[in-house]
Amino acid sequence: MRHWLDTLKHWLWPGKRPPSAPLPPRVLRKAAQQIEMTQEVEYSCDDVHRLLDQFAEAVLRGVDAAQLMPLVQSHLDMCPDCREEFEALMRILRASSVSPT
Amino acid sequence: MTKRTNEQWLSELRAGGLPRQAALADLRAEILNGLPYALRDWLSPDNPQFAALAEEVTQETLMRVLKHLDSFEGRSRFTTWAHKIAVRVALTELRRRRWKDISLESLTDNAEGGDTPRAIADTAPGPETVMEQTDLLARVQQIMLEELTDKQMRAMLAVAIQGMPLEEAARRLGTERNALYKLLHDARLRLKRRLAREGLTPGELLAVFERG
Repeated sequence: MRHWLDTLKHWLWPGKRPPSAPLPPRVLRKAAQQIEMTQEVEYSCDDVHRLLDQFAEAVLRGVDAAQLMPLVQSHLDMCPDCREEFEALMRILRASSVSPT
Repeated sequence: MTKRTNEQWLSELRAGGLPRQAALADLRAEILNGLPYALRDWLSPDNPQFAALAEEVTQETLMRVLKHLDSFEGRSRFTTWAHKIAVRVALTELRRRRWKDISLESLTDNAEGGDTPRAIADTAPGPETVMEQTDLLARVQQIMLEELTDKQMRAMLAVAIQGMPLEEAARRLGTERNALYKLLHDARLRLKRRLAREGLTPGELLAVFERG
């Protein structure tokens, strides 16, 4: 009977998950951290990828890139993949800036 | 390796013959020089797999550079732009290799299953705090279940919580990286607005979690 009711709920309200086991506090805390940083408008990964070379060079020059390009910075704060790509690019640029010409 | 201005890179890569060959050779060397730094956290240059990966990444990067030459806006150095492309190509491939045997379900299933609020404090919280945390956790979880679609919940658990790369999660959800980021952004916005209607801010939630 219970299984039938759950199936009915799932059919009547598509997209609603049936009740699940409690999520651990670390998961909900991480979610809260993400939600706190959420902005109304955020760049996509492609938006940031298009601007990443300019942003990285600005950071290398010591410019406050977060102020200059705040939407790029906030995306990097939210997106681990883009953050990782930014840091990889910075390592290349820093190595290039100290290598002999 | 010849030093070039942006304009020189562009004109030589667009030219035929020897100037283009020379530019491509120098660009290839430039990209190969950068990859050990870029991939430091993934793969050492001493690793037997590194050379083959670097070659594959470099070839793909050169193809993309030539294909998208007209999209270079000159707002950075040309080599920085090329390195950016190489980084994206390399990390996409490395993520694919690392995550290829991990399913979305295994991540979302592993995210469930309870700890008690005691588990999040370094020192044991008092009983009132435990009650408050338990109630709050249940409330937040209920809000997530009510506000998010199944796809949003699965994506959030896998990407934002369990650290699956966006492209890998997108592939499993039948979408692409940008669309998945937008889906997650929409999910976070819905939750933020719903929490506000409930009289809760994420900062207040975090404060309760931090309380020991």
